[in-house]
Amino acid sequence: MFALQLALSGLAQGAIYALVALSLCVVYRSTTVVNFGHGDLVMAGAFVVYVMVVLAGLPFLASAFAAVVLLFILGLCIEVGLIERIKAGPHIGFALMCIGFGYVLRGIARAGWGREVLPMPRVLDFLPLLMGDLVVTGDSLVIFAVVAVLLGAFFLLFYRSSAGRVMQAVCQSERGAGLVGINVRAFHGVMWGAGAALGAAGGVLVAPITLLHPNLGAIFLIKGFAAMTLGGFGSFGGAVAGGLILGVAEQLVGGYVSTKMIDITAYLVIILVLALRPNGLFGRAIAERV
Amino acid sequence: MACFFAVNAAAQQDGITPNSIKIGVMAPLTGNASSYSKAQIGLDAYYKWVNDQGGIHGRKIETVMEDYACDSTKGVAAVKKLIHQDKVFMLHGNSCSAVAMAIKPIVIEAGIPWVIAHAANPNISTPPVKNIFHGVPVGKTMGIAMGQFVASKPGLARVAVISHTDDWAKSYCGPATEYLSSMKVKPAIEVAFERGQTDSTAQTLRIKQANPDFIIACLYEAETAIFLKDMKKYAVNAPVMGTAGTDLENTLKRVGDLDTVANYYVPHMYADNLDGPKLKKFADILKKYYPNETVTAFSLISMGGGAAVVEALKRAGRDLTREKLIAELDKTKDFQTGVLAGPITWTSSDRDGVKEVAVAGFVKGKPTVLKSWGKPL
Repeated sequence: MFALQLALSGLAQGAIYALVALSLCVVYRSTTVVNFGHGDLVMAGAFVVYVMVVLAGLPFLASAFAAVVLLFILGLCIEVGLIERIKAGPHIGFALMCIGFGYVLRGIARAGWGREVLPMPRVLDFLPLLMGDLVVTGDSLVIFAVVAVLLGAFFLLFYRSSAGRVMQAVCQSERGAGLVGINVRAFHGVMWGAGAALGAAGGVLVAPITLLHPNLGAIFLIKGFAAMTLGGFGSFGGAVAGGLILGVAEQLVGGYVSTKMIDITAYLVIILVLALRPNGLFGRAIAERV
Repeated sequence: MACFFAVNAAAQQDGITPNSIKIGVMAPLTGNASSYSKAQIGLDAYYKWVNDQGGIHGRKIETVMEDYACDSTKGVAAVKKLIHQDKVFMLHGNSCSAVAMAIKPIVIEAGIPWVIAHAANPNISTPPVKNIFHGVPVGKTMGIAMGQFVASKPGLARVAVISHTDDWAKSYCGPATEYLSSMKVKPAIEVAFERGQTDSTAQTLRIKQANPDFIIACLYEAETAIFLKDMKKYAVNAPVMGTAGTDLENTLKRVGDLDTVANYYVPHMYADNLDGPKLKKFADILKKYYPNETVTAFSLISMGGGAAVVEALKRAGRDLTREKLIAELDKTKDFQTGVLAGPITWTSSDRDGVKEVAVAGFVKGKPTVLKSWGKPL
């Protein structure tokens, strides 16, 4: 029962990691940019909801939707206004640009709420389901449900719609997609927007169960990286599986090995996977014709 | 002629002009421990109030506040800036113990007087160093008070400990568990909950398995709120003894309902309830200069040290030097600040200035100072 309870809690945490990892993966796979500012987009999504719900008094669901849309637009603007401009430059430029805009977002949050650890309205506080000694908390159920819907929608769009097939085509070969008339620039912008929106959804889900502060995104960036590494760089399904496995692993390590190990589980995963299976659980080695 | 030399001696001191005394105040104004900076905001208000009362020997106190975001690297940069660029006369600041420990060697080397405004790690001022003074109770004092309160619960047999793994947490939990061990109560389980983590399920379930009568939680604010909420989720009903790194009002605000904090207790360093008559003067000072500040348990805590500094500056006279201030601070004996629970006494062999602490908890939904389990002060 103890293990099951830990696993359940781990799955709820892992669902958020999965969302963050998937959003990182969307940007990486479509533009080969590892977004080191992504944690701050997660934080920004949560802060937008805070402003709308707590300060403006708007309903939570409408605010959450608006936050996701706003972050989509922000992601698109970042790609068009910042990333696209340095496309011809070295890859390190992308990394520095991502870190730069991430810190700007963090700075904006600090300017407004730097001295506070903010509580969000407890919108996910539903009565827990009790199955014997097993507690399935209300927030876990909501997180599972929302993440499942978001992931389902994403995978349907990407793998089953005509727009998704266009996206797959660009992911496989930008030059080929461009030659058949696909607007690759617009595609990059949309994928950055989608990545930011998914990240924002993660922030919206996590803020009501923890607390809100400008550094909130940092820990989710690391978890997202670890989950993406575990699942395999560029694998959408792998990112989701990696997030869930990481969430459960953290809880089981904390429950059975040592609570001191929880904090380093993500780092251990990154080190072990890169050392033993660099392509992760579901990633594939890229064969290059020479 | 004597007057000329007196003015000249003072003028040669960094941070002293004929009209001002420059004091560097390091505060975590940003970051996830930023609410601790309320302590330095309160201190700044107190010094402004002193200025409005006429200042000290014709000089006004000029505070220079530097943010370090509870980060050691930023703390080192901030204190170097205050000492070498702003050339302050003395330092009165710091909330985060780990940062205070990081900057301690720099302050010792500079020889500049430093009164600790809020950080509680006893190792900052012990063993005593010539220029460092603790203006609040250290973790050991509060840890012992925590242990005494926990031990006062009738029928206590099993205690659980949840803490960060840093020096700050050890400075509270160590003395608390040592005290309990001396009472033949050893922790049934000790678990770690690191800063920045967003979930404490594993820790909460392990504590639940241990079935404790009391839990000692040496956690910062955000993690305290997360742990208390997880305790409620998994129906862990034992009372929790927290540290002075948290306060009742803000913890209630963060967890969102009284049920979750009804059994939460914290060390209380004040002479009265926060809204009590003895503290009204100090709360009014804060409101006068920072009208938008809400008064929490951190807000007034550094004012006691501020009062002791002002007293020592007065005794040091118009011909002010760092050596004279340090000598006068060392003569501070049983100084009643009006705000802290106990007096401040500094000697050259003991810089841990405040030795008395109570405990506060919710009684009938209202924060109440307690002398022992179930007994209001």
